[in-house]
Amino acid sequence: MTKRRGGALAFALLCGVVLVTAATSSAKTTARPSWCGPKKISLGLTDGFGGNSWRLVTTASARAEAAKCPSVTSLTYADGQGNTQKAISDIQGMVAKGINALVVFPDAGKAILPALRSAYKAGVVTVPYRVTPGGKAGVDYNVFVDTPFAQAGENWGRWIKKVLPNGGNVLMLSGPKGNSQGVDENKGLHKILDPGGKYKFIGEQPFEVTNWDPALSQKVLSADIAKYPKIDVIVSDFGPSLVGALGEFKKSGRKIPAMATSDGNVLGCYWKKNVAANPTFKLFTVSTQNDHARLAIDYAVAVATGGKKPASPHFPSLVFEDSTTGKPNPVECRPTLPGDIYLSAQLPAAAQAKLVKK
Amino acid sequence: LLSRGLTTVLVACVGLFVASLLFASSSLSKGVLLTMLPFAAALAIASLGQTLVVMQGGIDLSIAGGLSLYVVILTHYPNGENSRLLPAVGIAFLAAVGAGLLNGFLIGRMRLNPIVATLGTNALLYGAVFWYTGGIPRTTTARLASLGGGTWLGIPAPVYFAVVTTIAVTVVVKLTSVGRRFEGVGANETAARTAGIRVKRHRTSAYVWAQILYCLAAVMHAGIVNQPTSHEGDNYLLPSVAAVVLGGTSLLGGRGNLVATALAALFLSQLDQFVLALGVSYAARQLVQAAALAVGVAIYTVNWRGLVQRLRSRRPASMAPT
Repeated sequence: MTKRRGGALAFALLCGVVLVTAATSSAKTTARPSWCGPKKISLGLTDGFGGNSWRLVTTASARAEAAKCPSVTSLTYADGQGNTQKAISDIQGMVAKGINALVVFPDAGKAILPALRSAYKAGVVTVPYRVTPGGKAGVDYNVFVDTPFAQAGENWGRWIKKVLPNGGNVLMLSGPKGNSQGVDENKGLHKILDPGGKYKFIGEQPFEVTNWDPALSQKVLSADIAKYPKIDVIVSDFGPSLVGALGEFKKSGRKIPAMATSDGNVLGCYWKKNVAANPTFKLFTVSTQNDHARLAIDYAVAVATGGKKPASPHFPSLVFEDSTTGKPNPVECRPTLPGDIYLSAQLPAAAQAKLVKK
Repeated sequence: LLSRGLTTVLVACVGLFVASLLFASSSLSKGVLLTMLPFAAALAIASLGQTLVVMQGGIDLSIAGGLSLYVVILTHYPNGENSRLLPAVGIAFLAAVGAGLLNGFLIGRMRLNPIVATLGTNALLYGAVFWYTGGIPRTTTARLASLGGGTWLGIPAPVYFAVVTTIAVTVVVKLTSVGRRFEGVGANETAARTAGIRVKRHRTSAYVWAQILYCLAAVMHAGIVNQPTSHEGDNYLLPSVAAVVLGGTSLLGGRGNLVATALAALFLSQLDQFVLALGVSYAARQLVQAAALAVGVAIYTVNWRGLVQRLRSRRPASMAPT
């Protein structure tokens, strides 16, 4: 029984299927997951910045995951509110309180490393995830549960090759200048598209800087539309923030081109509303990875409680929607629910809506 | 009628548009203009508010928190429902009056330094933003989006609002007795007090009207940006001060060049699109904007004539045999 549930979980993590929704609800009644050992622990979760819907859903996902394990007797959460100083003292405070395991979203990167190291040295199971804090596993913390962002770039690249087999102009937009996520995604994109030399990257390289800010996205995109008479595909690592800017194509009397990005309810609904008038608007999304937090929790709990560690500390980039094939999912839209929920997450849409509507 | 500020900004604007035509003509395409003009209009309205404060020898750093708060009220309260838009606008304007009164009380009555006081108010307003939203953005209602993003007779709707607001504020400040007293207080407080003008009341009113204008700018901005974040006001802090300075209003207070400020907002917005169209890197774009502010300050504060004279008088001296 235990083995079967563990297998189902691994399958869900790999494929990003909604399957686990059922597993989550029945978790309390069925056997404990394999990563949940017998030792009782208190668990801490700290965020460098918790103030947006993505973070809310991610934190709630982490809580839901921890709730699956009865050995976790308490879960304490702290939000650094974008303040590095607070993020550090949150970690120190949790260690002082005597928690046994700590999962950290180290937004401030290397600045958090000393705090992680002292937690680790104090005997707390320390698991940073998603943003690299530098340092070394086994020296500064137990393990860094990362996600290879280049994989997302490769997923986008493969889809672009499929919908534009004869090549085309690729425009990539990302957040702040030089952010490692955008840089890595761009590398993955180049790895797939460069051989053959049919694809041309336009705009600032490696990507147009938008700071993930909708107003700046709008200005940048309108300038690019005017400058480049032919944009065949837009690549963006935060699709929902681009929804307001896509209207720029209409203002210039052009059709919205194909788009490879990450998912969000607002984007899916925008696509459904505009695809009829914009036949070139094909949409491909990778999961926005709220469930990355679940893998980090699994790891920390497994080490602290004496459970079985997950097979890999890397959270993969998973394809979510493809408007051209409908596989693994057709583009999804829940018009009655808020725009800023993520249908690729395991957490049910209604639960997410409740979170963000609070 | 043509003040030094207005002449300077007019020349700068014409120069910039000629440069745009010659070096980056894509920045003058219809699509880009339709994007740039609404942002310019919102910035112009916000900068008029900043001008009123600067005319009183102050500066309003709470523009960032204020504008952010009004934007989130306008998007969160209706939560997509058109029927709740008007009440939201009402609430936003009430909040604006409240924030303005707080600034006015701290600076006009308690005589706090404007930088310190408005920085504190800014933190308070941002606190309100995060308390109200949890940092989560909402989509603008369709009605507001059609106002901010719509066009009347081919011209973006916010432009009409900006023009009417500029005219109205200019008429009140320049042509009414209230406005003359307002300018008088900013130019010379002691003289104004001696003349029997209520200095505190005028000073407070500057901060209140500033917030009301920020709120109007927020209405435009929320309509232009379909899914505004909870910190949209940050985009206005430096540009609003830059527009005031480029418009030639002295940071020491006194006479305000309102039309020049509005035109400077247009200049700054087009400058944005111009450098974007040139295709220079993000870093270079930031430098150009900072340089525009520095040049603006230099034009008005450096005593160019004196500098030239000093250089001239020094040259023969150094060449003279010793």
